[in-house]
Amino acid sequence: MPALVSKSLRDYRRSLIRWTIGIGAFFTLYLSIYPNISQNKDIYGKQALEKYPGALRDLLGGLQDFTSGAGYLSSVVYQLFGPMLFVVCAMLLGNRAIAQPEEAGTLELTVTLPIDRRRLVFERFVALALGLLAVAAATFLLVWVLSIVSDMDVPADRILAAHTGVFLLGLFFGVLALAVGAATGRKGTAMAVVGVVAVGGYIVETMGRNVDWISWLRWLSPFHYYLDGKPLYQGFPVGDYLVLAGATVVLLITAVLAFDRRDVGV
Amino acid sequence: MTAVVETEGLTKFYGKRRGLEDLDLEIRPGEVFGYLGPNGAGKTTTIRLLLDVIRPTRGRMSVLGMDPRDPAVRGRIGYLPGELALEGREKASEYLGFLGRARGGVPGERITALAERLEADLSVPMGKLSKGNKQKVGLIQAFMHEPEFLILDEPTSGLDPLVQQEFLAMVREVRSSGRTVLMSSHVLAEVEHVSDRVGIVRSGRLVAVEDIAALREKAVRRVELHFDAPVPREAFEDLPGVRDLRVEGAGVRCTIDGRPDALIKAAARFTVVHLVSAEPDLEEIFLTYYSESEEEGRHARAGVQEPA
Repeated sequence: MPALVSKSLRDYRRSLIRWTIGIGAFFTLYLSIYPNISQNKDIYGKQALEKYPGALRDLLGGLQDFTSGAGYLSSVVYQLFGPMLFVVCAMLLGNRAIAQPEEAGTLELTVTLPIDRRRLVFERFVALALGLLAVAAATFLLVWVLSIVSDMDVPADRILAAHTGVFLLGLFFGVLALAVGAATGRKGTAMAVVGVVAVGGYIVETMGRNVDWISWLRWLSPFHYYLDGKPLYQGFPVGDYLVLAGATVVLLITAVLAFDRRDVGV
Repeated sequence: MTAVVETEGLTKFYGKRRGLEDLDLEIRPGEVFGYLGPNGAGKTTTIRLLLDVIRPTRGRMSVLGMDPRDPAVRGRIGYLPGELALEGREKASEYLGFLGRARGGVPGERITALAERLEADLSVPMGKLSKGNKQKVGLIQAFMHEPEFLILDEPTSGLDPLVQQEFLAMVREVRSSGRTVLMSSHVLAEVEHVSDRVGIVRSGRLVAVEDIAALREKAVRRVELHFDAPVPREAFEDLPGVRDLRVEGAGVRCTIDGRPDALIKAAARFTVVHLVSAEPDLEEIFLTYYSESEEEGRHARAGVQEPA
């Protein structure tokens, strides 16, 4: 493994462990109350959910089905909070690639190593992707085991499909933070951009289903390529995931080119 | 032999602010070059340009015969940043190990030997290191791969006097092994004992490059002579190189520029009982350069403002 990748992973280790524990705790909490919900279909059933105002239901992903295993997972865990936790985790890791060390001043010595600037960005990306993959893999195993324990009756490949989507979505936002940091050197700017794109993207994708004048914006939203394919019901939305991965590659190339041509630490 | 550093019209503007303008600099193989100037004069800008941390607005440069954009050249350089940032829980020894691997491998014994020499404790997390200890880690990483060219930005800041002496000894060893050093400072006294030449930079411009030996010759020296009887003032007046003459009874005080020869010959006609000559104050010459260049600048500006 290149020195910079292993060094970055070593730097990320503590926060990767903390995020795995945090996201794992979130999944455990929500999955452990599922048996309670599946046994009280009259409280959490269709009619109960229809009492919510339409716009709120849209924001929460429609709330069509709460009591089946797949329905519960997709509307509670994989709809909003699961992806958002990954997005925040990836954003913070993405910032540690360039912007944070640049603001702290530690990047100066790194760029004077005999490592090509383009390679430096790429190796930091590899560390980000591997770190995020480790968090995703550990939490996938946890969800899979918990789904069996809680009798959710959701096939493992569907959970894997949803979890892969969460990973790809997180990676996209992580590379977005990395790219803004590589271009500007400011982690505050990177966080603002990620925040606007993530919240805006989520609102556009969910509200856009029923609001005509913003529905055309949905194809711009990164969440569209994760939520629209309903991976927990329909398995891997291969085309959508390829779009997410492709957008990530485009951002990475942008990051590499932007960092290669600018002054560091001024 | 080709120059270690060669720049031509090297210029860097940060937006409209001038960092460095039209720098023509040559650093020769095997020399220790002292790069002097007050804070903000352009020393760090020059160094960052040489290491491709920042890119020139215009001008040309080559380092070790290569374009600084080529990453391979950086493997042959040891660099101590002026504001060295080390942070986190990582131990200094782990960080040095990483830097060594990234530079193609450095034997662990060499790191240990340098750490012992500078009395640095590498088992402490870097975030907890004091300023002086961070500087030691910075020096270790700059020297450890035995680079052909060392670029040290304010290397002695934060070091206690004993470690400073050890550091200067390390610089002398580098020179005697035929390698080259560029070290910056805002205090001449820090570099004059190891430098062969000094360049003086001010407000983004190189105002002088001098041999230290030549600088010594030009140095202002305060001299005090005491005689066994009062001496006539006329005997010392109008001697070449003698300024600020004060004759008080049997004592003569003055400053001399350059050689003390004329003064000694004049004094030899009387009986000298006591002679005090202070160490040449290079700092003073250094400041003379500054005030001269400042005046030139003022004249130049005044000339521009005159109506045509």
